[in-house]
Amino acid sequence: MTAIMNIGLNHFLVLSGTLFFIGLFAVLSKKNVIAVLMGLEVMLSSVNINLIAFNRYTSPEILTGNVFAIFVIALAAAEVAVGLALIVAIYRQRKTAEVQDYDLLKW
Amino acid sequence: MFDIALYHAWVIPLLPAMAFVIITFFTKKMPKRSAGISITSILISFVLALSLGIGVIGQGERYLEHPLKVVVTWFSMNGLSIDVGTQIDTTSVMMLLVVTFITSLVEIYSLGYMHGDTGFARFFSYVSLFAASMLGLVLSPNLLQMFVFWELVGLCSYLLIGFWYHKKSAAEASKKAFITCRAGDFGLLLGIILLQLNFGTLDLQQLSKVIPHFTEYTGLTAAGLTGIAILLFLGPMAKSGQFPFHVWLPDAMEGPTPVSALIHAATMVVAGVYLVGRILILFVTLPSALAFVAFIGGFTALFSACIAITQTEMKKILAYSTVSQLGYMMLALGASSLSAGMFHLMTHAFFKALMFLGAGSVLHAMHDEANIWKYGGLKKYMPVTYWTFLIGCLAISGIFPFAGFFSKDLILEVTYAASSLSGQATGSFQGLYSLLFIMAALTAFMTAFYMFRMFFICFHGELRSHDAHPHEAPKVMTVPLIILGIFSFIGGWGGWPGLGEGQAFGYFVRVGNFHEIEANWFLIILSTGLALFGIGLAAIFYCKKTYSAEAVARKFPELYKISFHKFYIDEFYLWVIRHIVDKLGWLLWKFDYLFVDGIIVDGCGKAAQWSGSVMRRVQTGQLQHYAFVFFLAIVLIVLFLSLTDFNSIHVGLLLGGVK
Amino acid sequence: MEINFSLFSIEIATALLAVIILIIGLMIPKQSRHILGYIIALGLVVIFGFSFRFYGLNTAVIDKMYLVDDFSVFFKQLFLVAAILVILASIRYVNKMNGNFEFYVITIVAALGMMVLVSAGDMLTLYVALETMAISFYILAGYKTDPKSAEAGMKYLILGALSSGILLYGLSLIYGMTGTVIITEIAAKIGLLSGYSPALVVGLVFVLAGLGFKISLIPFQMWTPDVYEGAPTPVTAFLATGSKAASFAVLARLLLIALPAYSRQWQLLVAVLAALTMIIGNLAAIPQTNMKRMLAYSSIGQAGYMITGILAMNQAGVSALSFYSVIYVLATVGAFTVVMTCSTQTDSDEITDYAGLAQRSPLMAAALTIFLLSMAGIPPLAGFTGKLYLFKSIVNQGYLWLVIVGLVMSMVSVYYYLKVAKVMYMNDPVDKTPITIPAEAKITLLLTMIATIFFGIYAQPLSVLAHIAGKALLTF
Repeated sequence: MTAIMNIGLNHFLVLSGTLFFIGLFAVLSKKNVIAVLMGLEVMLSSVNINLIAFNRYTSPEILTGNVFAIFVIALAAAEVAVGLALIVAIYRQRKTAEVQDYDLLKW
Repeated sequence: MFDIALYHAWVIPLLPAMAFVIITFFTKKMPKRSAGISITSILISFVLALSLGIGVIGQGERYLEHPLKVVVTWFSMNGLSIDVGTQIDTTSVMMLLVVTFITSLVEIYSLGYMHGDTGFARFFSYVSLFAASMLGLVLSPNLLQMFVFWELVGLCSYLLIGFWYHKKSAAEASKKAFITCRAGDFGLLLGIILLQLNFGTLDLQQLSKVIPHFTEYTGLTAAGLTGIAILLFLGPMAKSGQFPFHVWLPDAMEGPTPVSALIHAATMVVAGVYLVGRILILFVTLPSALAFVAFIGGFTALFSACIAITQTEMKKILAYSTVSQLGYMMLALGASSLSAGMFHLMTHAFFKALMFLGAGSVLHAMHDEANIWKYGGLKKYMPVTYWTFLIGCLAISGIFPFAGFFSKDLILEVTYAASSLSGQATGSFQGLYSLLFIMAALTAFMTAFYMFRMFFICFHGELRSHDAHPHEAPKVMTVPLIILGIFSFIGGWGGWPGLGEGQAFGYFVRVGNFHEIEANWFLIILSTGLALFGIGLAAIFYCKKTYSAEAVARKFPELYKISFHKFYIDEFYLWVIRHIVDKLGWLLWKFDYLFVDGIIVDGCGKAAQWSGSVMRRVQTGQLQHYAFVFFLAIVLIVLFLSLTDFNSIHVGLLLGGVK
Repeated sequence: MEINFSLFSIEIATALLAVIILIIGLMIPKQSRHILGYIIALGLVVIFGFSFRFYGLNTAVIDKMYLVDDFSVFFKQLFLVAAILVILASIRYVNKMNGNFEFYVITIVAALGMMVLVSAGDMLTLYVALETMAISFYILAGYKTDPKSAEAGMKYLILGALSSGILLYGLSLIYGMTGTVIITEIAAKIGLLSGYSPALVVGLVFVLAGLGFKISLIPFQMWTPDVYEGAPTPVTAFLATGSKAASFAVLARLLLIALPAYSRQWQLLVAVLAALTMIIGNLAAIPQTNMKRMLAYSSIGQAGYMITGILAMNQAGVSALSFYSVIYVLATVGAFTVVMTCSTQTDSDEITDYAGLAQRSPLMAAALTIFLLSMAGIPPLAGFTGKLYLFKSIVNQGYLWLVIVGLVMSMVSVYYYLKVAKVMYMNDPVDKTPITIPAEAKITLLLTMIATIFFGIYAQPLSVLAHIAGKALLTF
């Protein structure tokens, strides 16, 4: 119980920051485009942690941060839906889901 | 008539603008009607300008001191209010007359010259657009309106140089002209913005009131204002082909010859001179800026005269000579004389248009053969062209009483007066003006020489090309030549020494007080002597040679020896010419061609192109690379911002956050 | 809480239009669906006409979450105009693509997103609107069934999502530090903080990066050429105009209203990035051989000029930005209209295939030349007046060096714009058949061309509106 009480805003921020970079790392390094998309989701989740933590520790009486997080989740879902649709479309044409192969457009 | 013209001067540019619209949208398919519309509109403009001219000369003093402005607000936004309208004063009326007069003649001439060209209607529409923009420029009451029209005339020049767009060289030349002029215009626009900021106005009249007392109105130092003046001067330098921006002008001769006559000799290229003349007060206030103008002018005059000596194409020679004469005008302005600059502008418009149109008539007769060494003996085939061209050459060489004599003499006189040679100069940089005076005198000699070199090669001797059948041009082309010939003869008499108030050209067009011109016999003799020397030298090399030396030798063996000896002297002269003068000219031309044109102009283009193609390689097409760059940039920016202490070192201030 | 819904009527009408079109489209037979394009254009014209009534209201709704000020009305009208022009121009293109009418619906939804974006009074509305716009564009970019289009959609989606993730992280930091999401209150809350907050600076940079992505500010511009090239041309036209203008508007609001306390930091940053954007955008445009890529780089360069309006941090700057946005939108939509009309006939966007366009279609060649020269800032075209406003607004603040960079780079831009003009006028066409312009595209072309010339010659009406818009942003 006391251990939980000791957890403060900074812990959440560190967690969120770590998650953010994990997500970013996935975006930058994963070969499969679905994994890249997952990385993006992780980044958005880290923001949600941020928003809720800030809400809880700065102004717990107004739920702005929580509402914000719900909107983010909804929009992230929309984004992923479109993303998956595009992946299907591009996979049909090229039979590949590797990000490196998408380089028709350059220079 | 006068009052109507006075308050409705905007009609003068509007008429050709309407002609442009009508031709473009309605009569493009009807060449004759298009030409008719275009010529009618410009003739009406000319008549209006003429009535303005007569009226303004009648009440000279009034319009000199209080130009008549008719303006409406163009736009206003956050303290920037710009008018658009017309400003009538003696200088603008003089320029109106010159532009409408030359344009009318050139358009009439083009009826013959462009006859049968597929782009006949297009030609007249462009020329009308040009006339409209040029007239708008001339009438501008403020610098911004002037700039807008300035760019428009540049655009017309671009369109007309590339008129025969199937010629690759024409396409290249037009692009070069446009880009070179833009390089200057960026300075001009920057200068205009800075003037607006510091003085809060771009109105020519208000500027001329506040600039002499700039320290009271602004926080500018003399050095700061000099910087602005030089930035402004970049525009005129490019437009009027001053060194090192002159590269575009000789290439611009790729356009049809009437265009060269109108735009690249008589009117558009002098827009730079006109602009400097309009804000001459700014330069007069700043001696070092003034000296800069004078130096650029003097140097350009001599430099391009040197190049003109070795050219073998009529239009190229005329082009370099135009650059050289424009340099003269700048020199005159640099010697703080608006009268001399504008006077030469006017006489030059007459005789240079004449010579270009004459060259056009020769090209027409010789089926576009450009090399003058293929000509010869054209005198007997085309007498009208011959005699009018002779008048032009005499005028540009400055032989009494042709137009060029008076204006050139005036320029030499004002330069002399500003130099330490006269012993009476009061301004600064007297030593520089002495040097410039010597350069100007030398240019006068060289001008006479190369002009008559071309003249003798083209018109005297025997026809060298065997498959040419030269013939005189049709009436529609010769009549403009004759009219211009008359003006090249009498056009300078307004500068006759001894003409007083209300009579002399210098009374109507001036900045500051009017000084009656007194005949300075030293200068008159010097300039005439130099010109005659130049003509004589050209005659010896390029005309006398044509008397067959061998025939003379067989008839008179005694004379032959003398002649031989003379010839020996001739040979010596020839050697000097071939090995020294020609080489120097060639060298300068090479320098011009390879260095100024090649390295500076092309080099900038190449460098830009190269850096562009390096930059595009960053674009690998890999989206993860993009994402990486994106985030790396963020990290770098955050690091940079966190490592920079904004409170102590004021990086923001260093980088321009000066309030 | 009493909510005056009439204040949202522009947005509601637009949303209704989208829904109605969607329903009608499903009900009518496939072969008659092409009329939907006209209906939408007509509907948007009506909304546009109606929107003039919103000037002068200057009110905030729902606890300042939504602002109906002149600035936002000005930009909403701009998006409506852009949408109308793009839809008109694209009717034939869409018919040829595969006739799917959903294209129009998504375009309107994107426009709706932009409208809400400029009116956003808090960061939540801002984010939702931004995503509405962005997701619509992800779909639109990948709309065509060719590999390039799908790839463009994919790239735009992943990079766009990354950038909005970063933007969101920045917004969350600002929210965390100030405890509010209301834009107009952030500045006051920052004033209460003691001293300089590193977290806020990080938030600022993240926000700038997220929106910088949308406006193609260097170094966040990498996606621009690829997506512009791959996306269907009408989409590119709308993306380059609407999305960019909306992001500029919201960036101006955030930087000038919410974060003026950190102006030292962001002014320096924006000034440097603006200079880089002008330089790299214009230089990289030179070697391009694909028309759409060339226009993409040129639009990057244009972003560099436009952001100087924010840099000025005064009303003149915002007015200049608003003014230039209109000019930019007109010229860009016009240029892309030419591109899409040509490509429906030639199936190519390569600059070399524009050879002899002057003979094949004199109107398009003339129009494209005018648009390009306007972007280069040649008087008397509108681009010149716009640049003059922009540069004048920052020269006042002492950014003379930036003005010099801008002028030099606009000179450079003349070089590559003229290259196109040269190809169109001086080269001979391989295929001499005239290109017919569909009547709808002709309307767009003529309107944009006339406006580009008109606002250059007589800028007063537009500058009055821009002035009102600028005043509203800073005083409200």
